[in-house]
Amino acid sequence: VSERERARRRIAVGALLLSACGWGLYLSAPADALGQPLCRSGAGMSWPGSVALIDGASFGALAAGWASMLLAMMAPTLVEPVLHVHQRSFRRRRGRSILCFALGYGAVWMLAGVLLLALQLLSGIAPQSSLPAALAGAVALLWQCSPAKQRCLNRSHNHRELAAFGWAADRDAFGFGLGHGVWCLGSCWALMLLPMLLVHGHAAAMLAVTVLMVGERLEGPQPLRWRLRGLGKLIRIVSARMRQGPSWLREALRVERVAQGEVGRR
Amino acid sequence: MTSYTRSNAWNQGGTFDNPDLLWYAKGVGALMARALNDRNSWWFFAAIHGEYLPGTPNQQSGYPGWQAIPPTPTVPTTPLPSQSDMDSFWDQCQHQSWYFPPWHRGYLIALEGQIRKAVIELGGPSSWALPYWNYLGPGNQYKIPPAFTQKYMPDGKTPNPLFVTARYGPRGDGDIYVPVPPVSGACMGNTIYTGSNAATPRPGFGGPKTGFWHGGGASGNLESNPHNQVHVDVGGELPSGDLWGLMSDPGIAALDPVFYLHHANIDRMWAHWNAIGNSNPTSPDWLKGPAAAGEREFVMPMADGSAWTYTPQDVTDLGALDYTYDDLAAAKPLPAARGTLAIRMKKLGAAEMATQAPDPGKDTAVESELVGSHDGALQITSSGARAEVRLDPEARGKLSNSLRSASLEALPDRAYLQLENVRGTRDAQKLQVYVNEQLAGTVALFGLRRASMPDLDHGGSGLTFELDITQVIDTLHLENRLDTDALDVRILPSHAVAADEPISVGRISVYRESHR
Repeated sequence: VSERERARRRIAVGALLLSACGWGLYLSAPADALGQPLCRSGAGMSWPGSVALIDGASFGALAAGWASMLLAMMAPTLVEPVLHVHQRSFRRRRGRSILCFALGYGAVWMLAGVLLLALQLLSGIAPQSSLPAALAGAVALLWQCSPAKQRCLNRSHNHRELAAFGWAADRDAFGFGLGHGVWCLGSCWALMLLPMLLVHGHAAAMLAVTVLMVGERLEGPQPLRWRLRGLGKLIRIVSARMRQGPSWLREALRVERVAQGEVGRR
Repeated sequence: MTSYTRSNAWNQGGTFDNPDLLWYAKGVGALMARALNDRNSWWFFAAIHGEYLPGTPNQQSGYPGWQAIPPTPTVPTTPLPSQSDMDSFWDQCQHQSWYFPPWHRGYLIALEGQIRKAVIELGGPSSWALPYWNYLGPGNQYKIPPAFTQKYMPDGKTPNPLFVTARYGPRGDGDIYVPVPPVSGACMGNTIYTGSNAATPRPGFGGPKTGFWHGGGASGNLESNPHNQVHVDVGGELPSGDLWGLMSDPGIAALDPVFYLHHANIDRMWAHWNAIGNSNPTSPDWLKGPAAAGEREFVMPMADGSAWTYTPQDVTDLGALDYTYDDLAAAKPLPAARGTLAIRMKKLGAAEMATQAPDPGKDTAVESELVGSHDGALQITSSGARAEVRLDPEARGKLSNSLRSASLEALPDRAYLQLENVRGTRDAQKLQVYVNEQLAGTVALFGLRRASMPDLDHGGSGLTFELDITQVIDTLHLENRLDTDALDVRILPSHAVAADEPISVGRISVYRESHR
């Protein structure tokens, strides 16, 4: 296992832990609070009443809820760009640069949250109706198959150069986060909107969308064309690993131990 | 005893007196007579490696679009095969990846089977095998075998299928040879396939760990030199810059018949590397190939009409595939492969030690760390480019300390110069890189165009080149010149860079790599 691979694994574990924290925060919020922005099933979400509820305190709760949702859903998709920042930064600046990247990336999604949450509130015109979610589902499906979505996915595989010294390093890491956030938003906005508009089962839908977003990032850049994209590669990976059964896990663990010098080479 | 022995193309002077070359030419001619959509055609096989065909996502408005390739040969662009054939077979070649050697081995075997079948149908020997071009061999072998430069077959009237117009050579004048050096077989001294140790700079002999990887990132040491350099040297570019050679670009390279002789030699080098005692990866991710992880499979159309799906572990044993090379039995470890660490330790003034690292087959890298950087993009023009790579005092201090206190218990760091995010549209170029006026190495830009296209393969990140500058840094350390704020890096292109087709380098950086 190479040094780079070890770094990737550490970052992946960190991303999963952060995601778990995001899920914990999100799920621990009161189900009928605006702080849990996905919930349209609770009382008080009907429009325009819900808009009237947005004062300073609830805006903060709304932002916190949106941020926890982003953490839960997006952290697992960021392993490769964070690895890029990690590898291209001075050791003592790695944490700082990754933070700058996260701020840039988060800024894009927090701004986008204003629009997406506004759409969610607007959907309160038809409380308890499945129509908004159905419309969002149709839009998400169309976007999912479009060449435009592929363009966004391809751009998010472009890992740009980063300055190493001083404020330029912060600027570039932040800029990389912004750019990655923009292409990520272009790729995922419709998918993110769908669970927000569901009357029931939004947490399950969030989880499904997270899996879908992670799955589609496993694919490399592809030609721009109409096609159904999503879980294909993830399903192939899981089924291939299942076919190999425990032997694959045993072998992977053995290779890990060999790399650490614990067991002899074959 | 194997059925097929690949022999040196320079036997009988590399002319048509060599029956391997004569029958290769006839076989290539037979495959060229087939249609583009015929799985057994020359054109279909070239597209398996890579293509720029009209009607595909890779199409180009001008050269190197296949419609713009000057005859000879006359390259067809229709009829395209079915979408499913294109999706399954085309654009498979593995570059900048640890799958580079095994994928190309399977590719050679499949093409060779097609040619052999045609040879037998034409009355040739049933044991025909692809010859290799050992440009690192003695005498004139650095030159292309003469059979490839003749316009006609020995009968004086049949066009020679081995002759290609778009093959310009290192000086762009049609004189096809491989300059040795900078082309070298130094990678044969490596002792690890993926990773690094005292005898092996990263990413290792075979290449970095990847999934199915059609290009982008950093090449393995075998791929970097000689493979990439020979592609660019043989293909070359016209002095006017209007056209470059087929071999220079992976999307047209396999249209040139010399491609397969070059790859037979690369495959021979891999076989030799194994024969002298070096091991291939034992990771299931390599052995079972990318398909086991849910990615595209390696698949080739075979002469009997079947589709051969293979994995790296299917092709590691050349004998089991019924193949050998005429010089494989005499393979011996290179003298340079021994004692690399001991020589370095002696240079650094460390205590006397054994002649070889304790475990030469092991990846000993512990951690890599950025030491310095030239922040900001750099444009390479015809006169080259120069940059000051600023060093971080803390990281440089660690590097110096490692060299100062080198011992068998605390191995000295390795050092690398990295050219990151190199982008451009013209692959037919080589860059000489100097650090403080010492030559650090030469890199060939094979694959640059595809790696720079935003909707292909690597999302437009371009290529990354990593030069092992351990010796340069050791010398600076011994001359007490490493305690400096910056290194001077100079990059010189092998020939003119067109103003409208610039080459850019995103960042130049220096890394240290600690070893245990």
